Amino acid sequence: MRVPAGQLSLVTPAALCAVLLVVSAWHGPHLFTSDGLAGAVIGAAPLVLATLAITPIALAGPAGVDLSIGPLMTFINIAIVLGLPKLGVSGPIAVFAFAIVLGVAVEAAMGGLIALLRVSTVVVTLAVYLVLDGLNTVILPEPGGSAPAWLANWGSASSILSPILYVPLAAFALWTLLSRTTFLRNIRLMGANDRTAFVSGIPLIPTRIGAHVIAGCFAGVASVMFTGLIGSADPTAGASYTLSAVTALVIGGASLAGGRAKGLGSVLGAIDIWLVSYVLSTFNFGLNAGYWVQFATGAVLVAALLAGGALAGLPGSRGWRGRQAAGAGR
Amino acid sequence: MTTRPEPLRGGGRADLGALVFRHWSTVMAGGVFVALVGFGAATIDGFWSLLNLRSNLVFASFLGIATIGQTLCALIGGLDLSIPFVLGGANVGLVKLMNLGAAPGAGIVIVLALAAAIGAFNGALSHRLRGQSLVVTLGVGNAVLGLVQILVSSGGVSGISGGTIEGKIPRWIEALSSMRSAIGVAPAVLLWAALIVLTIVLLRRTWFGRSLYALGGNQTAAERVLISSGWCWTLVFAASGVAAALTGILLLGYTGSGYAGVGDPYLFTTIAAVLIGGTSLVGGRGGYGLSVLGVLILTVLQTILSGYNLSQAAQEAILGSLIIPTVALYARSPHPRTQI
Repeated sequence: MRVPAGQLSLVTPAALCAVLLVVSAWHGPHLFTSDGLAGAVIGAAPLVLATLAITPIALAGPAGVDLSIGPLMTFINIAIVLGLPKLGVSGPIAVFAFAIVLGVAVEAAMGGLIALLRVSTVVVTLAVYLVLDGLNTVILPEPGGSAPAWLANWGSASSILSPILYVPLAAFALWTLLSRTTFLRNIRLMGANDRTAFVSGIPLIPTRIGAHVIAGCFAGVASVMFTGLIGSADPTAGASYTLSAVTALVIGGASLAGGRAKGLGSVLGAIDIWLVSYVLSTFNFGLNAGYWVQFATGAVLVAALLAGGALAGLPGSRGWRGRQAAGAGR
Repeated sequence: MTTRPEPLRGGGRADLGALVFRHWSTVMAGGVFVALVGFGAATIDGFWSLLNLRSNLVFASFLGIATIGQTLCALIGGLDLSIPFVLGGANVGLVKLMNLGAAPGAGIVIVLALAAAIGAFNGALSHRLRGQSLVVTLGVGNAVLGLVQILVSSGGVSGISGGTIEGKIPRWIEALSSMRSAIGVAPAVLLWAALIVLTIVLLRRTWFGRSLYALGGNQTAAERVLISSGWCWTLVFAASGVAAALTGILLLGYTGSGYAGVGDPYLFTTIAAVLIGGTSLVGGRGGYGLSVLGVLILTVLQTILSGYNLSQAAQEAILGSLIIPTVALYARSPHPRTQI
């Protein structure tokens, strides 16, 4: 089977997804019932959106890893559950708008710091991780509160055609539209080589902030899904989304060097991560279940890196070795 | 530690301005440290008490030893996120080995050797994947700690529960981190002092140390002068693994029981110490002396914040908010326009 060179990065996540689905069908067929699928959709939705959120930042490179995504989702989760009722609104439109505005505000601030101060993305998002993770526990020391009733209903739906399915689908449709715009192409060029982008007349500062604004929109929606999933506010539960989302991003074929990331890859990567934890939950590990999930997530990440490195070495692909050789011949 | 190029001068006389300019990061970090100590001494009772100083030194040596690896990795443009996992793995792994009947000395050698192997794998893979050390070490770290906990919890002899494992810790391992030792300070502090000297000499006076700066500055140029980047990456990350495992063993002596999550705070504090000291994560600039200052600053800051009764979470938030201004002061990347 020939894979078009542009789609090569999707081979790993798609193959992994197929393998995991086969294992699920063999060991946990409950997944393929209406109830199981509904659980899968609500379980995977926050991670799918979180991974989509950090995709444009990876695209904008270099070393564009948004470490803050987990605590940011928690922060918005707390704001939705504790802050919004004080404003007296709890309708779906208000919640989504509020979450998106908050996500965009935080992400745009980070993008501004990265672009204007020229401090690396890792440093800024790491600092924001610490600030938000600390603040979350200061604001809300213990889990508590409850999500708006309609959102809690979404989260406990037992049918696949629940509204919670349409949100990730709409988000992915939005990403597909966005990825065809000149603006996203500019982000991609800036990530691949900021000097080339600069001499091509791309305004670097607005472009970088723009990448973070897109990230903020998806982060806001991810937080709404997360709130629906846990049905309350929890100061620490969201922090682990940083590891899961970065893992999903890398499995999805994104290059953290910048310039290469695909929305579809990120979605597949996120589904893979969810399937890994689902498959593990069908085995009877008892108290060790958490350790197995940690081990498997790490191992899958390393395996994906190894597979990605091997694929990038194939002829015709644009891996670094190919570029290196081209550069040496010049 | 040179962080700015030394200005060319006709005469041999170096005036004070040039000296300050040359050691800008050291002056900055030292100034912050002195200011914090002054502030703490002025506003907190018992700041100068012997007990406080001793316990601060022990905490600083844990963080300091773990930061050796992070500093070396930062110098070549990498980042080691596996430190907390290797640290926690060494912590519970050693207890398990001793529970299984291994002699403590042999157990320590096994744990350090395994940590070196894990680190070497981190380095080799990160190098092969062109510096994607962040994700490599994150993945390897999680896989390692998950696996260690699975292994530790199986096999009968007192297992792990909630990440904690009990066991008989030999007296001399406990004495390593004990403040009640004959020499006045814990042996761990002396060990740190020895490692400080060793690391700084290694970085400044050896071929290997200078190679790391060359690599961090410009990898292609370093390879052209026959510096093996693959070996450097492998050795540096192996050293980082060993330093993390060593911290895990010292912490085992300090707390008296194994806990897999013992390393959690060290993920971000090691990076924060490196950044606050003034070593750039891009590579090629900084040194371990600066990280030692960073470690001392963090330790004093934590004492002060605890003195004001701030919770762990609030301390974390304040620490985070300090990172961006510090890095913005002396580790900004150049504008693309200057690189065309």
